[in-house]
Amino acid sequence: MAERGRSDQKEDMEKAPSRIDAVPEEKLIRALMNAFPEAITGFTKLKEGFVRAKLDRREIAKACKYLRDELGFEHLSMISAVEYDDRFEIVYHITSYQNKLLLELITRTPKDDPSVDSVSSIWGGANWQERESYDLMGIMFNGHPNLERILLPKDYTFHPLRKDFKG
Amino acid sequence: MWINMGPQHPMTHGLWNLRVKVDGETIVDAQPEVGYLHRGIEKLCEGKTYPQIIPLADRLCYGSSLTWSHLYCMAVEDLMNVEVPERAEYIRVLTIEMQRIVSHLMWLAAYAGDLGLGVGFVYTMREREVFLDLFQALTGARITYNFPRIGGVAHDLPPNFERDTLRAISYFEGRLKEYEDLFEGSKIFMMRNVGVGILKKEDAINMGVTGPTLRASGVSYDLRKDRPYSVYEEMNFNVVTHKDCDCYARYRVRMDEMWESCQIMKQALKKMPKGKVRIVSPRNAPVGTGLARVEDPRGEGMMYIVGDGTDKPYRVKIRSPIFVTVSAAPKILIGYKVADVVAIMGGLDMCIGETDR
Amino acid sequence: MNLFEFCYGIIHWLVDLINHLWYWLGDVLPWWFGDFFDAVGNFAASQGHMAVMTIFLEVVIVVVIALINVLNFIWIFRKFMGRMFDFYGPYYVGYRIGGWLQNLADGIKLFVKEIIVPAKADKMGYLLAPIIYIGSSILILATIPFSENFGVATNESGSYVPAGALFALAAFAIAPFSILLAGWASNNKYTLIGGMRSAAQMMSYEIPLLMTVASVFLLAGSYGFVDIVDAQHDIWFAFPLFIGFLIFLVCLAAEVEIIPFDLPEAEAELVEGWTTEYGGMRFGLFYFTTTIRSYAGGALATALFLGGWHGPALIPDEIWFLIKAYIVYTIFQWMTWSLPRVRVDQMLGIGWKRLLPLAVINLMIAVALKSMGWF
Repeated sequence: MAERGRSDQKEDMEKAPSRIDAVPEEKLIRALMNAFPEAITGFTKLKEGFVRAKLDRREIAKACKYLRDELGFEHLSMISAVEYDDRFEIVYHITSYQNKLLLELITRTPKDDPSVDSVSSIWGGANWQERESYDLMGIMFNGHPNLERILLPKDYTFHPLRKDFKG
Repeated sequence: MWINMGPQHPMTHGLWNLRVKVDGETIVDAQPEVGYLHRGIEKLCEGKTYPQIIPLADRLCYGSSLTWSHLYCMAVEDLMNVEVPERAEYIRVLTIEMQRIVSHLMWLAAYAGDLGLGVGFVYTMREREVFLDLFQALTGARITYNFPRIGGVAHDLPPNFERDTLRAISYFEGRLKEYEDLFEGSKIFMMRNVGVGILKKEDAINMGVTGPTLRASGVSYDLRKDRPYSVYEEMNFNVVTHKDCDCYARYRVRMDEMWESCQIMKQALKKMPKGKVRIVSPRNAPVGTGLARVEDPRGEGMMYIVGDGTDKPYRVKIRSPIFVTVSAAPKILIGYKVADVVAIMGGLDMCIGETDR
Repeated sequence: MNLFEFCYGIIHWLVDLINHLWYWLGDVLPWWFGDFFDAVGNFAASQGHMAVMTIFLEVVIVVVIALINVLNFIWIFRKFMGRMFDFYGPYYVGYRIGGWLQNLADGIKLFVKEIIVPAKADKMGYLLAPIIYIGSSILILATIPFSENFGVATNESGSYVPAGALFALAAFAIAPFSILLAGWASNNKYTLIGGMRSAAQMMSYEIPLLMTVASVFLLAGSYGFVDIVDAQHDIWFAFPLFIGFLIFLVCLAAEVEIIPFDLPEAEAELVEGWTTEYGGMRFGLFYFTTTIRSYAGGALATALFLGGWHGPALIPDEIWFLIKAYIVYTIFQWMTWSLPRVRVDQMLGIGWKRLLPLAVINLMIAVALKSMGWF
C-alpha cells in the first residue's frame, strides 16, 4: 500500500552548478550583451522578472542554445507569430525555472521570406508550437523534423491567420 | 499494427485521435493527432471588440472556463494598463480556486470511470454539483460563466454566498477524505497506477510540460507562487509536488491541490475587503502588447495580445498547456501495454477545447 | 412426490386423452389406415415414448423457472447498481412493483431493432457464435436441480443424475470457444483483441475453478448434485474448504466477465469488446446469457459449497436454494461496483501465480480431511 497523506511540500530545485546564481534582470541583459553583441539588441525591462529583447533571425539557434545551456532557461513557454504590414514577427517566450525570469525575444522576418531556424532540437516543447505557426500563419521553420499541418486538414492550401485571408 | 484509438471512442474525452503501434500488447510508438475541434478562435477574436471576446474565451476549455476568461481579462488589462480594484481581485481568486476544484473533480470522475470504477464517477459528479450550484447562484451559469470583465468582475457576490461557500467547503473536505480511502484502499487501483507512465524530470521540462504533470515529476513550479498574479501573494498555501513520476503521483498531486484550493478559498473569504468590484475600462486599446500567465488546472496558460489603437485586437495568441503536454505523450506511452493507455492519458487530463482552440 | 412423477402423471393423462382419438380413428377407418392409427396409439402409450416426453416436459419446466429467476437477477442488478450509484434504478415501468417490467420493455425494444450483419464478416462464424454461446449456457440451466424432488431426472428415483455437476461444468466451459469465434468473425481489430483477452481469461481461470470443484467431488464422493448436497447435511463445504470457496467465487467472477474482470468488454478501451458488432436481439441475448451464466454460477456455488437446499423446514427446499443463489449473486454485485478493472497481464498473473497454488493447497486440505475420515 502506497503512502497516504499529504505529498512532499515544496522541494528545493537543485541549483545547477556554474550557472549565474539568482540573476536579476540586469545580469541577464549584461550576459546577453556580452555573448551576442550584434544579434540581441533593444533590451527593455517590462516588469519585475520580465525582459524583452530583439533578436536577429540568423542567430536564433546559437542564441537559444546559449540560453538553455549557459543561462539556465529550460522551458520554452510559447512561440507566437504576428503579421504586420511589412514584416512577420516571431515572438519567443522563454522561462527560467531556477531564476524565475521570463524573456521575450522578438525576431523579424521579411514578408516574402517568412522562415527561421527551428528550435525544436533545443526544446522539445517547440515541436508542436512551430507546426502550429506553420499551419496557421505559414512560417517555415528550417530543420524541423516533421513540419506538417497540425490543426487543419492536411490538404488545406491556405494559412488562415494571415490578414489577407478573409474566410 | 497501428491501432486508432479515436476519434470516436468512449475513452478519449473530447475529439482527438491517438494512433498507437502495438506489438502484441506492448506499445512501440504513438502519434497523437489533434485538430478535430479547431474552431479558429484566434481568428474570430480579431473581428470582435474586447468585451465581446470574454464569452469566447470561456469556451476555450469548457472544463475550466473561468480560468481562460480571467486570463484574457488579465492580458487586456496589461495591454490597457488598467488597475483592478482589490475586492474584484479577491472575488477572482475565490472563483478561480472553485473552478480548479470543479475541474479536478471532473478529471477524477472521468479517470475513475475509465478505470472501471463506476461508483467513483457518480460520486465525484455528485460533489461537483455542489460547486456548480454555487456558481449558478453567483453567475447564473453552470459551465461557461462570462463572469470576469476588463477591469474587475461582472457583479458582486449574492447574499449569503459566504455562508453557503463555507458550508460547501467543509462538506467537501470530509468527502475528499472518503475518496482517498475509496481509491487508495483498493489494491487494484494502486496496481494500475503505481509505476505506470513514468515521465522523467528532464524530459518533462524539456518537452514543455507544465501543471500537475510537471509537479508530479518532482519539479516545484507553480505560477501562483513563483510569479504571483492577482492577490496570490497574500494567500498562504503549499505547492504540491511528488517525487515518483507515475500516474499515482499525478493523481495524488491533483487530490492535494483540491485540498489546497479549499484553504485558499477560506482565506479569500476572510480577507475580502469592501469596495467596488469593477471599473470602467477604456474602449480603445493603445498600440502595444499585453501578456498574462495563469496557473490553469492543467498547466501554464498564456495569452499574448497585440493592440493597434482600435477597439478590436490585432492578434490574440493563446498558449494551451494540454497542446504541449500531448506532444510529450509518445515519451510517456512507449513501453507500456495497451491497457495502460487509459490510465496514462487519463492522468494527463486532456481537454480538447483548449488544445484545438 | 418428485418432478418426474409429476410430469409423468401429466404426460400419462395427456397421452390417454389423445389416444382416445387415435384408437377411435383406428376403429372407424378401414384397411391399413386403421392399423396405422392403432400403431400410432400403441407407440404413444409405450414406455419409451412416455419417458422421453416426460423428460421434455421436465426440462421445459426447470428451464422456464430458471429463466424467470434470471429476469429477477437482471432486475436486482439494475436496482442494486442504481442504489450504489445513488439513484433509483428502474422506476417507472411497473411503478408499483419497483420497476420490474423494465426488463420486458427493454426486451421489446431490442426486438424491434434492425439486425445488421457486417459486410466483411465471416458469415458462418458470425451467425454460429451466438448459437453456441447461448445454447451451451441454457444447457447448464437444465442440469441444476432445485431440490431432491425438483430436477431433471430419468426415472422415478428422483433427480439422481450420476454425473450432473460434471456435465454442468463442462457445458460452462464451452463458452470461450464461441467468444473467440465471435471476436474473430466480426472483422474488427477491437473485437479480435477482446475475443483473445476473453479466451485467455477464461482458460486461465478454468483451472483453479476445476481444481476447487475437484476437492468438493473428493469430499462428497460422487459427481452428482444430489449426492454432493446430501454429503453437506452436517456442515456445509464452505467451512472446511474456506479457501476453496473464495477461489471458486473469484474464478466465477472471471468466468462470467463481471468487473473487476471484465476486460473483454472494457468499455473505456474496446467499446463493448467482442460483442461490438452484434445488434438488436442478438446483443440482447448475449447480455441475457451473461446473467444466465451468473445465475448458473450462483446455483453451482450454492449446490457445491453452501449446502444446496438444506435449511430449516419452514420454507420449502426449492426456495432455500433460490435464496442462497440470490445471496451469492448480490455479493457478486457488491464486488462489481466497488472495484476498478484489472489490467490484462495483472489478471493473468492473479490467475496463474496466486490462485493456482491456493487451489492446490485446497485440494491437499480436502485429501487430508477425507483420509482422516471426517467426510
